[in-house]
Amino acid sequence: MSLLYPLGLLGLIAVPVLIVIYIIKNKYTEQIVPATYLWRLSERFLKRRNPVNRITGIISLVLQILAVVFLSFAVAHPVFTLPGAARDYCFILDGSGSMNLQSDGVSRLDAGKAEIRSRIGSAASGSSFTLVYTGSTTSVVYERTTDKEQALKLLDGVSPEYCATGFADALNAAQGYFDENPSVQTVLVTDKAYESGENVEIVNVSKGEINYSVAEADYAIAGGNLVVTGNAYSYVGNASLELALYLDDASEPVARTTVDATEGVAAPFELSCPYAEFSGLCVKLLAPDALALDNECRLYPLREESSLDTLIVSDTEFFFMQAALASFGNVSVEVVKPSEFRDQSGYGLYIFDSCMPSSLPRDGAVWFFNPDGNVENAGFTVQSDVESSVSLRLEYNQSTATRVVSLQKNLLKEEICVSRYVKCGLYRDFATVLFCENNPAVFAGSNVYGNREVVFAFDVHDSDLALRSDFVVLTRNLLDFTFPALVDASAYYCGDVMTVNVPANCESVRVDSPLGHSVYLETGSAVAEYELTEEGVYTVTVLSGNTERKVNVFSALPLSERIPYVAEQSFVLYGEAENAYRDGRYEDLLILFIVLAVIFIADWMVYCYEQYQLR
Amino acid sequence: MNELPIDEAFLQQVETLQTLLKHNAAGLFGGNHQSRTYGSSCEFADYRDYIPGDDIKRVDWNAFARFDRLYLKLYLDERQLHTRIYIDASKSMTYGNGKKDVQAIRIAATIAYLSVCEMDKVSIYAVVGGQTQEILSGLHGKDAYFASIGKLNELAFDGESRLSEALLPASVGYGDGLSVILSDFLTDENYEDGIDRLAERKRDILCVQILSKEELNPKLRGKMHLYDSENHARFYRKNINREVVRAYRLALEYATDRIRGFCASRGADYLLVSAEDSVHKIFFEKLTDMGVLK
Repeated sequence: MSLLYPLGLLGLIAVPVLIVIYIIKNKYTEQIVPATYLWRLSERFLKRRNPVNRITGIISLVLQILAVVFLSFAVAHPVFTLPGAARDYCFILDGSGSMNLQSDGVSRLDAGKAEIRSRIGSAASGSSFTLVYTGSTTSVVYERTTDKEQALKLLDGVSPEYCATGFADALNAAQGYFDENPSVQTVLVTDKAYESGENVEIVNVSKGEINYSVAEADYAIAGGNLVVTGNAYSYVGNASLELALYLDDASEPVARTTVDATEGVAAPFELSCPYAEFSGLCVKLLAPDALALDNECRLYPLREESSLDTLIVSDTEFFFMQAALASFGNVSVEVVKPSEFRDQSGYGLYIFDSCMPSSLPRDGAVWFFNPDGNVENAGFTVQSDVESSVSLRLEYNQSTATRVVSLQKNLLKEEICVSRYVKCGLYRDFATVLFCENNPAVFAGSNVYGNREVVFAFDVHDSDLALRSDFVVLTRNLLDFTFPALVDASAYYCGDVMTVNVPANCESVRVDSPLGHSVYLETGSAVAEYELTEEGVYTVTVLSGNTERKVNVFSALPLSERIPYVAEQSFVLYGEAENAYRDGRYEDLLILFIVLAVIFIADWMVYCYEQYQLR
Repeated sequence: MNELPIDEAFLQQVETLQTLLKHNAAGLFGGNHQSRTYGSSCEFADYRDYIPGDDIKRVDWNAFARFDRLYLKLYLDERQLHTRIYIDASKSMTYGNGKKDVQAIRIAATIAYLSVCEMDKVSIYAVVGGQTQEILSGLHGKDAYFASIGKLNELAFDGESRLSEALLPASVGYGDGLSVILSDFLTDENYEDGIDRLAERKRDILCVQILSKEELNPKLRGKMHLYDSENHARFYRKNINREVVRAYRLALEYATDRIRGFCASRGADYLLVSAEDSVHKIFFEKLTDMGVLK
């Protein structure tokens, strides 16, 4: 036996105090009375007392001393050692999206938590518990705690997640605990069916529930109709699945269809209705099943800028560029000569052809063609003119960086030659699309003011670019870069990273998750990224000046997490397991202490009552 | 001893009282109490026929002249009685806030005054141990009373008193008046024989039990070791609580009933007074109500 708080034994000082009180209390006061005759005579009239009452006083003292002793020990908190009763447990709890499947109203995660709760509850005091939770990331919720109450409380705080889960990190953590203590009992609580589990007890909470899902939805506008396509799945047996299309959160579907789904095979569907302007659509699977999270797909149209006002500052007609911009339909172009440029404002795009402004426009994106000088805060410097007697071939950037790839999207990568170019030095983060003699020839980025910037380090007239079909595609890509949609797509899977294009002069980008969490993204760069970890509709809100733009994206449960019964190969902890128990503790004396405290109080109440009687 | 708290006005009131005796007065001639026998007082009582040998001076010659027969004229007999007062002089009489000893002396002095006013003789005795000690003997007349009554202040209350043992051998008179016993009767000693002795001697008996307020309504509580004031070898050790006090009251009731019953069986009067009771209340209310005085 050991004492957690030995100072509690100081309470034993009360024992001699009680004895002294008892002696003082029981001291007979001597007094002379005229005659004791009547007092002695009164004995005849006293009721015969219970013999136990004669020793009431000493019983009271004994009870009080016992109570004080036990209360002191209660404070001192004795801990009794129970040899070989306790074990060390390491629980690995699967928090993947499939653990949201429900059976009889109880999710797999709740069933798993109940299993762990039961094991913690039945474990001997002194046992230690470790909980490794594998959600979107693997985390150690608690480590080697012997506090059952805390372990259970933290276990209750574990909430379901929606991503696909890998057990590599959990396995590494469990292996670490196992290496340290080969007697640790590792329990993996999951819905995956592992064929073997060496040194691991696998608790499968899957009950083979029925599940259907709808996925990979997309839409198109064809022939005046809105056509939604996608796949339906039945994961347990073949099924005839009914799907419905809803627009703008309407309660009545605008289209219905039924598909026959073979187990585990994608069953394509198509839903069609007359096209009308909509802010979002939803495809719902109407068959009830064990997991409601994967029974709908939502899509939101990604709106572009309705019109772009462009100012071209050029000495020439700059016909090629005007023609390219005009081909996009939503670009209005105004051309002024450099001498007429007086720092006009109010345009979305400023294009300077073979001239440079005295200062950068701050209210819009800027494109430079053949820059002939430097302008402050532009992010690049013009170093020299390079003129060649032979044509110089431009090289495409081979980088796989996201921005470079998006700028080169759909390019045929035709051969482009220039006879003259401007050698530029970059001091900001630009993505180069084309190189000329390893010097950036076409590059895009943002200037100091956060405005997007595109630079052609040559005169289009000195190249054959305008003659290539890639010219229009490249212009389109650069225009998309300059005026990007807020997000690249409106449908993701949990665990995907959503890319938010940060527009110029953006003050904030806020992401509101389906569970109500709000996160502000970094707006210092042109692109902000955010990992989607919840299932449902995220709202991205971008604030630029007085303009607030919102866009919804749907984060769906990963396909791999929709399958109710997944067979895995093994979960192995390497090493020789031992089965050693360690000493447990017995400390459930609280009830005894409470009883004694009650006796102590009751005893004092009796004493006080006696004193009251003697008044 | 405190001075007797009996003032002149009270004594004047006492003079208005008269002792009512149950037994025929058999005292000396010249008293103030009428005897059931005929005597020589001035108060006419009856006639009877002359019997030879009678004193011829007592023949009513007027009656002879009218009826031609000799009648003897009879007068009431008035006797002087002897009041004997016995004061329990044990230690137990000195306890209590009201001082039982003072109360006993007050009552004794008052009865003595009442007696001398009735032309009776008064003797006051202290019962000390198993003896009676004479304090005032044959006191007669107010002058003698006032000259001697102060001796009561010299009475020492100490030790024990055994009433029967004291009275049995003592001269207590015979049919010649009132015997008053002033005591707390808080003893398991025999007092019945003493009262029997007085009753046998045709004495009118008045037993006055004087108890202090503390004895009538004890305030003692808690664990007590009580010593008897008269004999420390006697003690009582108890945790005195309500139950014990209740038993004490029952015991007190039993003891007083016992004395009262015994006195009634012997034709004696019994009076329980508190040491705090005023003498006026005792004489003009209690004793008058009982018919001892009128």
